Amino acid sequence: MNYGVEQEQDWNALSDEAFRALVRAEVEAHYPAELRYPPRRLRWDENKSWYLRMAAKGWIAPGWPREYGGMGLAPAKLLIFLEEQERWGIARFQDHGILMVGPILMRFGTEAQRRRYLPPILACEEIWCQGYSEPNAGSDLASLRTEARLEGGDFIINGQKTWTTLAHDASHIFVLARTDKAAKKQAGISFLLLELKAPGVTVRPIRDLAGHEEFCEVFFDNVRTPASNLVGELNQGWAVAKSLLGFERIHIGSPKLPEYGLQVLLAVARARGVEQDPVFRDRLAQLQLDVAQLGDIYGHFAAMVGRGEPLGPEVSLLKIWATETFQRIADLIIETAGDCGGLAGKVPMGDGRIEVLAPFYKARPSTIYGGSNEIQRNILARQVLNLPG
Amino acid sequence: MSDDTLRMLRDSAADFATLDAARVRRLRGADPGFERSVWQEMAGMGWLGVLIPEDLGGLGLDLRAAAIIAEQLGRALYPEPYGASAVAATLALLHGDHPDLKQRLLPQLAAGEIVASLAWQDERGGLDLAQCAVAAREHGGALVLDGSSRFVATPGADAFIVAARGARGLELHWVERGAAGLACEPEMRADGSAGARLRFDAVAAAAGTRVASSASAHSALQLALDHATLAASAELLGLMDCALEMTLAYLRTRVQFGKPIGSNQALQHRAVDMYIQKELTRATLAAALAAVADPGCTPERRASAASSAKARASQAALAICKEALQMHGAIGYTDEYDLGLYLNRALVLSAWLGNAGAHRSRYAALSQAA
Repeated sequence: MNYGVEQEQDWNALSDEAFRALVRAEVEAHYPAELRYPPRRLRWDENKSWYLRMAAKGWIAPGWPREYGGMGLAPAKLLIFLEEQERWGIARFQDHGILMVGPILMRFGTEAQRRRYLPPILACEEIWCQGYSEPNAGSDLASLRTEARLEGGDFIINGQKTWTTLAHDASHIFVLARTDKAAKKQAGISFLLLELKAPGVTVRPIRDLAGHEEFCEVFFDNVRTPASNLVGELNQGWAVAKSLLGFERIHIGSPKLPEYGLQVLLAVARARGVEQDPVFRDRLAQLQLDVAQLGDIYGHFAAMVGRGEPLGPEVSLLKIWATETFQRIADLIIETAGDCGGLAGKVPMGDGRIEVLAPFYKARPSTIYGGSNEIQRNILARQVLNLPG
Repeated sequence: MSDDTLRMLRDSAADFATLDAARVRRLRGADPGFERSVWQEMAGMGWLGVLIPEDLGGLGLDLRAAAIIAEQLGRALYPEPYGASAVAATLALLHGDHPDLKQRLLPQLAAGEIVASLAWQDERGGLDLAQCAVAAREHGGALVLDGSSRFVATPGADAFIVAARGARGLELHWVERGAAGLACEPEMRADGSAGARLRFDAVAAAAGTRVASSASAHSALQLALDHATLAASAELLGLMDCALEMTLAYLRTRVQFGKPIGSNQALQHRAVDMYIQKELTRATLAAALAAVADPGCTPERRASAASSAKARASQAALAICKEALQMHGAIGYTDEYDLGLYLNRALVLSAWLGNAGAHRSRYAALSQAA
């Protein structure tokens, strides 16, 4: 079965140029102009028209195999697909279903779970969010305390998740919950799927430093989910979660955000008339190289994923380099903006308006989420460089 | 070029390239600063001819093969002029337009019978080929070279391929070491090897020894330099990899305050940053080599890829070696300890063929033009 999605053709059979032209024509013809390069994460109400169109076209899951309803793109084609989205400034949506739940169910799920959950993800009828972090389980995720006990045919969940991105746009959440309190940390955790409209769930948005409400707290008060929503074995959720962490690190490590930062930097430099200033040019060149080389090393890891090879702890370096490069760019944007560097919102500069601080506010949390960069360095030091504990 | 070929090459190069620190120290300040016997061994393994076509005595492989060899030689700090002769000079000759010279000289280069070195920069150095301070002019019915060239990589070479401004533009000339009117002034480099300034006082040149006429000289020289820049980046990669390994081993075993110093998070995180720089160099070099191996690669794309790799490799090698020195403490600052050999070689290779800043500028200029 193909989970209700037919592809028009075998995209991998096209030449790279032909495929790029096809994707470019699609986004240029149909993506709403007012949504290009948004300075913040858009809400589902704002960008759903585009993603429902992509879903109807069968383009919502470019990286999924065709047998599961995806486009089945080979790594090189997938990179082109993503580059063209980036080039046109297409806003990301709450894509955890596509990026995380789908790949997890393909690997750890049952056939019944795949049949139940993949089609509505592909149709954008069900939107997922990720319930990992808790107030007292951030970097030390395995110390999480949200618990689930099996009662009859249901798990009963109690506890709290936090920093849950766009939970207020989601219909479903996947959570890590403690199912065996006697076991040691990682050993007693399970991976569960549940509906956010289930009785006992409360979602409360958190206002961030940029003034946006992109993440939320999610509270669980005796929330029930059927036992059939357990993914993988009972108490084996850590292994499931860890496979996603590697995936998340490669996703956070994509050159997308730094490339967007470079575009803003160039716009600010033009508006300030410093493009040809030799000091600026040298600093720009360094950052351009940092981003181009991020692309080189991202390509190395993406090719491993494409060949079906597991990602080792080395992938942490990608997250570090991507996020810290983005922060260096954001810092140079503010410095280049001069007096405009302290102005909020879209700032009139030169002939246009630029949201000078948007990259800064996007970049700051990037070294915190997805496992802080300090944690990534610990992982590399211990597991890759074999330094003593 | 198959993956198997590359793997075999990597294995044999790795076997060959173990650090002989006593030899490296002995050759500091020596003339020449390398050994003909080792050069012959390299020729015996086919390494000097990797880029030379098979019908001229070489292996007919591309730069990926040369980079593998260069990386291993970098690990073991070989002072033999692999990049300068087997890559730079060899490619300038190969891509020139003098068939007879190629027929005669390329087999000798592949066999290790001669060592050659490019002379193309002026007093100031830099990457601009137009900045050439040697002139080829008519003198009494014959062609002679006048002027000077600095930063010549291998003063002990048997011959130099000299870039000169002729009546119709840049030309490349084959000038043998003992040529009348040629003077060689060595300059000591940080690692104890010698570079040189060559002075030309009416040195005889002729159509018969013109490696490249103005029709091909510029493109041949640029191609040779871009390839040599990538080979130098590979050498730097091997070098930094080894310096990092030495440092990690030291962090694991050096005990202070009752525990290995590598258990301190402050040092662990800095070691990770060294590792990231090395891995960036590796990824960028691999991407650049793949780009250059593509038959559709334009000279601009090639130059941009070479600059990206060399900018990172130069910066990363110096950063890693300096951190390695700090983490070793005082022992790292002694001449007796091998780490200093790596730092001093990093200084030389980082500066050679353009340092990080020079390649950053060239990369920026190429990006802006594109």
